[in-house]
Amino acid sequence: MSGTRIRYGYRKRPVTRLGAGAVLIGWIMVSTLAWAADRPPGLMVQNGRPAPDLRLTNMEGEVTDLRDLRGRWVMVHFWATWCGPCRKEMPSLQRMVQRMAPERLHLVLVNTAETDDEVFAFLGLVAPDLNSLMDRDGQVTEKWQPRGLPSSFLIDPKGRVRYLALGGRDWASEPYLAFLRHISQAPAAKVPTTRR
Amino acid sequence: MLDNPMMKRCIGMGALGLALLSAVAVAADPASESGVYTGHDLVVHAQARTPDQTTAFYLGRGFPAAMLKEFNQSCFVTVSMRHTRPDVVWLEPARWRLRDANGRIIERRDRHYWNRVWKAINAPHASRATFGWTQLPESRDLQPDEPVGGNITIVPPTGPFSLEFRFATGKNKTGPEIVGRIEGLVCQAQESDMVTGNAP
Repeated sequence: MSGTRIRYGYRKRPVTRLGAGAVLIGWIMVSTLAWAADRPPGLMVQNGRPAPDLRLTNMEGEVTDLRDLRGRWVMVHFWATWCGPCRKEMPSLQRMVQRMAPERLHLVLVNTAETDDEVFAFLGLVAPDLNSLMDRDGQVTEKWQPRGLPSSFLIDPKGRVRYLALGGRDWASEPYLAFLRHISQAPAAKVPTTRR
Repeated sequence: MLDNPMMKRCIGMGALGLALLSAVAVAADPASESGVYTGHDLVVHAQARTPDQTTAFYLGRGFPAAMLKEFNQSCFVTVSMRHTRPDVVWLEPARWRLRDANGRIIERRDRHYWNRVWKAINAPHASRATFGWTQLPESRDLQPDEPVGGNITIVPPTGPFSLEFRFATGKNKTGPEIVGRIEGLVCQAQESDMVTGNAP
């Protein structure tokens, strides 16, 4: 009888440990998911207004129309070579693209009012895998009204403006990658619309 | 000289290098340098550009001579700021006051002024756009830790001058007002030789 009790006792402890382990693992998973869903610093929630028109050519003359990119998240990034934070941020955009599935998030660079020579020389040095649309007279940038350069707008699969990044950042750092992966796998309707 | 593309690139890269270097230098230790205000959880930097710096930057971006000549009639002051307050800080340069050593108000040339000038000389849209993005916004509700920077342009004063800034705070501008001052700014008097083609 006492032996049974001992065996029972020995059996009970692993069960307790297993339960505690499961709780711990569950807590870690929940925390990780919650962290992944957190909005990292510097991203302003927008009101879901329709994105302004954007139809421009790149340096090779190829046309990109934002409307053709419906169905996936799009980052529209306005920049210029003379802008210090833009120069610092551009390599991180290239690394971000390398780490994100293209069907989830599409990066659209828009250079504001510079020449092919200026853009070609700069991108070739710091982000040779990226190409940029050319807003040659700056009118498209004006229509989008970024708060400054650089500015990144996150557009949901239905073509609505959901987030605006304030200034430059390391887009390839884990908090931003986790956030981008999280929003780009969630249905657009579930993205929070509360304005800060 | 203005038509020489190699010269334009050299001048542009030089100006860019100067700007980047000065930005790094200013960021190193804001409390120990002139041209810096720190307080109320915000940092403001202000630095008057020399005519050669201003001209080199825009010349390097392919601006036409007519626009460069207009720049020579103004002094460019580069201002940057960032705050770590929990509320909104309102950037509104129209509320700032610039005064010379005798206390006289120095006129600021805002975007309306420049738009009239560009229209009068039929400046290219690309150059107008670039110029506009290099200016400090006329109004901005700066969020916590949101960086902002750009130029304000003034009628060139003789001698040192001060910049007194006022920031409303809070979403509806109902928070405490922040007032600060940066002293000892100086604009160089002479025009840039790069515009007139007299550079050596």
